[in-house]
Amino acid sequence: MSAHAEAHGHAGEHHGPPTANRSSRIDATTLGMLLFIGSEAMLFGSFFAAYFFVRVVNPIAPAHWPPAPFHFPIFVAGVNTVILVTSSFTMHWALQSIKRGDRAGLKAGLVSTIALGLAFLLTQGIEYAHVGFNPGDGAFASAFFGLTGLHGAHVLIGLTLLTIAAVRAFRGHYTPEHHHGVELPGIYWHFVDVMWIVVYVTVYLL
Amino acid sequence: MTTAAQHEHDTPQAFEPFGPRARGFLLRAGWIRATWCTALFFLVGMFIVVGSRAIFDMHPVYNWTIITLTGALTMAPLGFLTGIGAFDYWFYWISGRPTREEDHSGHGAKAWPDYFRINTDHKVIGVQYTVTTFFFFVIGGLMAMLFRAELAQPGLQFFSSQTFNGLVSMHAVLMIFLFIIPAFAGLANFVVPLMLGAPDMAFPRLNALSFWLLPIAGVMFMSSFLAPGGPFAAGWTGYAPLSVDSPVGSMFFNMGVQWAGASSILTALNFLVTIITMRAPGMTFWRMPLLVWANFTTSLLVVIATPFIAGSQFFVMFDRVLHTSFFVPAHGGYVLGYQHIFWFYSHPAVYIMMLPGFGIVSEVVSTMSRKPIFGYRLMALSFIGILILGFSVWAHHMFVAGMADWLRVPMMISTLLIAVPTGIKVFSWLATLWEGKIRLTTPMLWALGFISMFVIGGLSGIFLGSVPIDIHASDTYFIVAHIHYVLFGGSVFTIFAGVYYWFPKVTGRMYNERLGQLHFWLTFVSFNVTFFPMHYIGLRGMPRRVFDYSNQFGSLNMIISVASFVLGVSTVIFFYNMITSWTRGPIASSNPWGAHTLEWQVSSPPPIFNFDEIPVVVGGPYEYGVPGARHAILHSAPAAEEVHA
Amino acid sequence: MRRGSIVRILGLTVVFAAVQAVVAVAFKWLPTSASRQMDRITFVYWFATVICIAIFALVMAVIVYSVWQFRAQPDDESDGLPIHGHTGLEIGWTIVPAILVIAIGVVSAIVLSQNGRAGTNPLHVNVTAQQFEWSFAYPDNKNLKSHELVLLVNRSTRLDFEALDVIHSFWVPEFGQKQDAVPGIHTHLVVTPTRTGHFTLICTELCGLGHATMRAAVSVVDAAGFAAWIKKQQSGVGSGGSAAFVSGGCGGCHAFKPAGSAGQIGPGLDNLEADAKKAGQPLADYVKQAIVDPNAYLVPGFQKGVMPTTFGQSLSPQQIDALVKYLTGTA
Ligand code: HEA
Ligand code: HEA
Ligand code: HEC
Ligand code: CUA
Ligand SMILES: [Cu+2]
Repeated sequence: MSAHAEAHGHAGEHHGPPTANRSSRIDATTLGMLLFIGSEAMLFGSFFAAYFFVRVVNPIAPAHWPPAPFHFPIFVAGVNTVILVTSSFTMHWALQSIKRGDRAGLKAGLVSTIALGLAFLLTQGIEYAHVGFNPGDGAFASAFFGLTGLHGAHVLIGLTLLTIAAVRAFRGHYTPEHHHGVELPGIYWHFVDVMWIVVYVTVYLL
Repeated sequence: MTTAAQHEHDTPQAFEPFGPRARGFLLRAGWIRATWCTALFFLVGMFIVVGSRAIFDMHPVYNWTIITLTGALTMAPLGFLTGIGAFDYWFYWISGRPTREEDHSGHGAKAWPDYFRINTDHKVIGVQYTVTTFFFFVIGGLMAMLFRAELAQPGLQFFSSQTFNGLVSMHAVLMIFLFIIPAFAGLANFVVPLMLGAPDMAFPRLNALSFWLLPIAGVMFMSSFLAPGGPFAAGWTGYAPLSVDSPVGSMFFNMGVQWAGASSILTALNFLVTIITMRAPGMTFWRMPLLVWANFTTSLLVVIATPFIAGSQFFVMFDRVLHTSFFVPAHGGYVLGYQHIFWFYSHPAVYIMMLPGFGIVSEVVSTMSRKPIFGYRLMALSFIGILILGFSVWAHHMFVAGMADWLRVPMMISTLLIAVPTGIKVFSWLATLWEGKIRLTTPMLWALGFISMFVIGGLSGIFLGSVPIDIHASDTYFIVAHIHYVLFGGSVFTIFAGVYYWFPKVTGRMYNERLGQLHFWLTFVSFNVTFFPMHYIGLRGMPRRVFDYSNQFGSLNMIISVASFVLGVSTVIFFYNMITSWTRGPIASSNPWGAHTLEWQVSSPPPIFNFDEIPVVVGGPYEYGVPGARHAILHSAPAAEEVHA
Repeated sequence: MRRGSIVRILGLTVVFAAVQAVVAVAFKWLPTSASRQMDRITFVYWFATVICIAIFALVMAVIVYSVWQFRAQPDDESDGLPIHGHTGLEIGWTIVPAILVIAIGVVSAIVLSQNGRAGTNPLHVNVTAQQFEWSFAYPDNKNLKSHELVLLVNRSTRLDFEALDVIHSFWVPEFGQKQDAVPGIHTHLVVTPTRTGHFTLICTELCGLGHATMRAAVSVVDAAGFAAWIKKQQSGVGSGGSAAFVSGGCGGCHAFKPAGSAGQIGPGLDNLEADAKKAGQPLADYVKQAIVDPNAYLVPGFQKGVMPTTFGQSLSPQQIDALVKYLTGTA
């Protein structure tokens, strides 16, 4: 390693750092991603808290959810749930493919995951347009748009990560040994997926 | 250094995301690129807003509130980070071109300009952090001087009430979000990897990004004074609905908190990963210095709690910009929701602002008494105790807020119980002093000053934890006294202790001991004269956050204001000492305190990559007085050890 | 050595405790109580104070004694005794503070529940808080409205709070009790005054630019005085201009010689004619507008949103007319 660094023209004064001791079996980037997801889960937690205050704690909480003239599109969102759950499987497929060295499978898996994610966002956009109320229509709408919107933003982040992975995959990166760049967005994507199921159940079904 | 990218490289290649360096000064990462990128990103943000409003036929097309939010408070900072070069490596990596070998060109500082660029060396970042945060300490302190001048007499003398409230709010926000929290992160940045026997943090580039997020937050807070309608003025707690209805300036607070919060979350992630995965061989959890334990628990608090303040500020912004009704009771909103969410972060935040200080004091007390920390394991476990209890007490800030009555007593009991792990710490420090060989150096003075002042602050916290007393004392100057005894007498004293203690390590020079002692005593006395009478005027009937008060408190407030100016002047001694010692002070040896922890076993300042070889840890960190005990073996450094023994 | 040092530590502790006790007793840290609740709060306060004095004295004694006794000589480079811990001590200083704080907790909880009890026949008062004024209604007395809070001595009172705009907080230092008034939520508080006199109600929650001035007068009277006050209010004697000036809290912000007020947040009101001329309006109209719709015209050098916009509703038309006459000197 240090020989390598010297070859870069910093000979003498610069040498590379000594290789750090690995004091845990868990990989650093994976741990970082898991902690980040923990933090993200808490962000969702604050939105769930706001939802809970509006719907349960508030002395003037509406008796029906959503209040009288409004309805949540349970069916459309259910279809969306299926889309997102499917995308978790295609993500898994992509990862398994590269582990086997199957680059075509990796690319196909990533592309289909991205496509499903986009389909989810598109459906959600259409749902917003036809839902019949807007964020200004009361606290129930605030909670609804807050949670689904926050989730939508996370789908967008997940898609960005996946797109990066896809770009690199098409440019010939990743091998059966080294595929962190696919694995980490994958973990994030599964998190986004699980989060959606929780959002769907609490906001639409309960 | 542990990024996945490195494992995936094929051919090494020069790393220049915007083309070869010859491309010219406009494209080179740095301040020039930062300037035009900031402007460019602002315009892009503005274009997005104006464009979409035009398309969707919304009026007015130029909605300056939304343009400010999108362009100035969101896009422009991203432009700055892009321009300064925080994302260069990642952009390159994203583009998928062949990975290049790390050449460490962004690591270390050879001359002062290296402190003004993206630098991935944890030691440089530590210095960047610490210096930046002290800058904001001065600004925040000067604001305190301004409103103390106003408060010297009853009635309104110098400011409008808007400016006064703005000064108070900004004072607290700068002190908390840009001084205490990041100053601890800065000291830990410098020290923790060294203490662990690691060559750097786990994610050096992320570390650099965390730092550069900070000045963004600071500039954003301060520029709210320029916003039309005045600065945010709803107190640092920004309670809704007041903060929702106030002028645009308060959005600078909402967004500034997001940037500062992102910075602390990223640093905390980095600390956690570093501590878990990069300890030197033999460095078990039970051999880590208590400072590392402190930062470990603090980082857990940050990662878990900080998203809640982000959430609370998002809701306020949504209510303002998207016209949602989270806190609008007429439309079904719940006003107290803000406070619950805010304090679920901000109570743990007070321990974020105290635990690292406990760590620093443990180092200083043990080294300067020449004794092992008394009850090391219980000390470490009490961090965990505070961590857990800290999440179960947030509603003690809401005893009079009108929340559910049944919450009061359980929250009171858990609040009071925090005295137990905190007391364990205090008593263990005292027992560490016992039978020691105490050296009253400046860091030790600050540490002892801290213990006595913090106990006063903690005990006034016990008064507040008792609901009936809090009902009387809440939102009075008694609270202000509590705040400053724990935050100034607590956190700031430990920061001073840490800065003096590691000054020779960081700069390679020794500070002036006499000035250090003078600084301590002047601060210690004027601090008490400033803040102790506040207990009294608070209990007697002076509410907080007022520019005018009843005449009976006039003379005491005059004393407080005068003492607070002396307190300000005492800080001048500190800065004078730091600056002159850094430039002209006597050269310090590598281990002037004779401490055992690893950072003292390398040269001062430490070598660019900390260690030539990763040391092997063979014993506890504080084995003073134990014959033949060693903390670690550094293969290549026995010579250095002998010289300075 | 051991025994000797423990005795000396205890001696120092007693000295420190004595000094603190003097500080605690020599100054009157709490306002003279004027309610049964404050009596109990004072009791908890002393209970906690005694415990805290003991703890702080012990901490200071150990620090001072150690620095004095264990300070290294300048040339002494040796280390201290390598004591790593002592299980008994560690258990001790975990258990004892736990017991002490739980004792504080139990006492506090008992007092809290007593302080929340209004008894069987409390006087009811509905309190409305808005930027930056308080108003009170007496549902037991034909919903009589007032800007001054008048309470009966030794009669427990239940105050029910309502906030119209942002959060405010009700505090009378001598009563000890405090409660936020929160928009959208009903909060309440119990106070049992124990002595007659005049007190000040202070808003303690930052509620905007006029927060510092949001105060109201509080009187505790005996039964006869209360009956007289009710009668006076109902017959409308209190609706004169000067009474409205006081009850509206105008003096908190405005200096006005006839009223003897010296507030400095708003413009002085002794030279309204000149201002009216500047604004180009007849004097009476100008003043009326300034009260009912203060943002319509801003006096140069002053900000919008400071003067409450609610006087149009909270004062009766008669009161406003009386006020205008009072301010223009035509009363
Ligand atoms: C560094 C920051 C810090 C720290 C460490 C603390 C520590 C504590 N705080 Fe404080 N607090 C603040 C910063 C901090 N606080 C701030 C900024 C506010 C105001 C926010 C605002 O509204 O703007 C606040 C407000 C605040 C309130 C709300 C008051 C109100 O608004 O009405 C309460 C109420 O319970 C409280 C309690 C406590 C308690 C019980 C502790 C405990 O952790 C203290 C424990 C320590 C000790 C007790 C001393 C050592 C112990 C011993 C020697 C053992 C023996 C002791 C006993 C047996 C008692 N604090
Ligand atoms: C770490 C946190 C911290 C620190 C260090 C301080 C430091 C100081 N604070 Fe404050 N303060 C808070 C945190 C802090 N504060 C918080 C959280 C609040 C609550 C806000 C709210 O209600 O929302 C608060 C509120 C607060 C109030 C109550 C305001 C109100 O309710 O109306 C007051 C009043 O006196 C005050 C005073 C001071 C003073 C005099 C100092 C001094 O110690 C400052 C000394 C330092 C300097 C002065 C800087 C260095 C000076 C120089 C380099 C020289 C120049 C000086 C001169 C020429 C004189 N602070
Ligand atoms: C919280 C502070 C506050 C209170 C309470 C208050 N005012 Fe004002 N007042 C102001 C301010 C600030 C202005 C100047 C800005 C404006 O014109 O609106 C003002 C302006 C005025 C003016 C115009 C003054 C001029 O010089 O032209 C009049 C008249 C007035 N107030 C009357 C009253 C009366 C009557 C009351 C009580 C019923 C009252 N105010 C209560 C703050 C206050
Ligand atoms: Cu109302 Cu402060
Ligand atoms: Cu707290």
